[in-house]
Amino acid sequence: MHEALTLTAPSSEPPPPAPVQVSLWAGFRALLRWSLASIGAMLPLIVVIQSALAAGIVVGFGFLIPDITPDSALFLSSGAPTILLLTVGLVIVPQGVSRARASGALDFQRALPVSRPLLLLVDLVVWTLIALPGVVIGLLVAWLRYDLSYSFDWPLLVLASILVTTMATAVGFAIAVSLPAMLAQLVSQVLVFFVLLFSPITFPASQLPEWFQAVHRFLPIQPAAELLRAGIASTEFTAQGRDLAVLGLWTAAGLLVSMRALVRRR
Amino acid sequence: MDDDVLRITGLRRRFGRVLANDDISFGVRPGEVVGLLGHNGAGKTTLVSQVVGLIAPEAGHISVGGADAVRDPAAGRRHVALQPQAQAPIDGLTPRSAIEIAGRLRGLSARDARAAATALAEELDLGPWLDRRALPEGGGLSGGIRRLTGFAMAVAAPTPLLILDEPTNDIDASRRRLLWDAVRRRGDLGSGVLLVTHNVAEAERIVDELVVLHRGRLLAQGTPAHLRGTHDSALRLELRLPPRGDDPSARDPGLPVRRRVRTGRRTLLTVDADDADIAVAWAASQHASGRIEGYSLAPSSLEDAYLALTAPGGSADDVLERDVPPLEEARDA
Repeated sequence: MHEALTLTAPSSEPPPPAPVQVSLWAGFRALLRWSLASIGAMLPLIVVIQSALAAGIVVGFGFLIPDITPDSALFLSSGAPTILLLTVGLVIVPQGVSRARASGALDFQRALPVSRPLLLLVDLVVWTLIALPGVVIGLLVAWLRYDLSYSFDWPLLVLASILVTTMATAVGFAIAVSLPAMLAQLVSQVLVFFVLLFSPITFPASQLPEWFQAVHRFLPIQPAAELLRAGIASTEFTAQGRDLAVLGLWTAAGLLVSMRALVRRR
Repeated sequence: MDDDVLRITGLRRRFGRVLANDDISFGVRPGEVVGLLGHNGAGKTTLVSQVVGLIAPEAGHISVGGADAVRDPAAGRRHVALQPQAQAPIDGLTPRSAIEIAGRLRGLSARDARAAATALAEELDLGPWLDRRALPEGGGLSGGIRRLTGFAMAVAAPTPLLILDEPTNDIDASRRRLLWDAVRRRGDLGSGVLLVTHNVAEAERIVDELVVLHRGRLLAQGTPAHLRGTHDSALRLELRLPPRGDDPSARDPGLPVRRRVRTGRRTLLTVDADDADIAVAWAASQHASGRIEGYSLAPSSLEDAYLALTAPGGSADDVLERDVPPLEEARDA
């Protein structure tokens, strides 16, 4: 009897579900899996593009120089990885991000209960993973063509590769989220030519007019090339602290602009 | 009021000179399915985008599960799961992995996320596609299966507020029924559901409340029965007009019509059940004389009321009680 009195009728309405609590690490892992799956399909294509580009730079540019000396060959070859990394970051990343913006995929992820900077971090990691084989591809092609001997400074090479990829991806991401899709596409196309033909990567900066050398002192392209070169042929080339500083500043600027665009509401 | 899982007050947002949302206020309680109806461009998606922090309101308040979603969008988002109108970006994923990832992002353990994917596949009849990969350019999985996967991703883990923006687009009739049942079930399990749709006829079966937006303004809100009109005995007489034909009901004073809505070559008339014989006799004579191509008589539906509300010249206050001028008349006026 007593027991019957203490029974409470089951509530007719279940309690509302609790808000989402998800750790940064769990969110990062889930987003990484998602991003790898969606970009992963492009991976073979990107490797093909990088190989073709590497061949174009190392072999094709070699034709421009008659009776190429071992020094010139080394300069050309040690610049190839920089071009490959910059191409992925400044060209392929903005195109991918523009597409994600246009299709609503970016907004889909921005509406998720995860910290939005995490979306940028995941993209940085994934694109770095995709771009890095470019260093190996570039060096392999050059070695096949010119039979060069490299003198690697491994810690510097690893650091420079990651920093250059991060910088290029961050700047590429910033371009895609700050400009209208058409304009972003156009800017990324122009950047290919600028990197390939008008930047002291495959030739020494001293061959450029004075004023253009001055411009390149503040752009991230020459520092990227010099850092990577010093990591690839450490006995012939050295990098300066200034290179690191300029690259770091551009990386920070790219991250800042990207982060702001991800967090901001229209 | 205070236990509303979503409470929108005085919401306003403008795009250029267009007021996409103009002083909108309504709420969603836990366990309640609220239908948000409106034509294209009525401001439904703009409203939803403000709730999840994609768009900033110009004025007004949004409270989601007690959190101020305007001041702190990130806190608001932890209470919401959204299935947006755009397809979920699942290229490269199988529906199973997409649902698992969505569950993990909403705090499920790996085991619970796997269980959720299996259960949802069962609930939505996704089984045959569960492990098929979505490919770029719409390959691999059909639009309907992608849409169902998007729904499953939104409901992978229970959330206080569930927002579905046109969840039945591209979905075949049999799975649409499963989907509606699944939506209703989420409400019964305690989530507040805001259902954006223009599929009025089907949504009517599962919603508790309706909110009608029209050109950025809240036109009407209430239960389906309330919006349909209090007279449950009302009937709908549908006239199919000949091409470029006049609507003969518009100039016949002998016809006892409570409401008239013209949409293209159809005219929907609402008549009292008591007047059914007069109306049918009238329609039969019109048909015999060739002024209409056909007619049908059926119980009045929510769709009729909705079309009347959003017809040009309709207004929130008195439209249910008066004749709405047909489209042509309103344009001439």
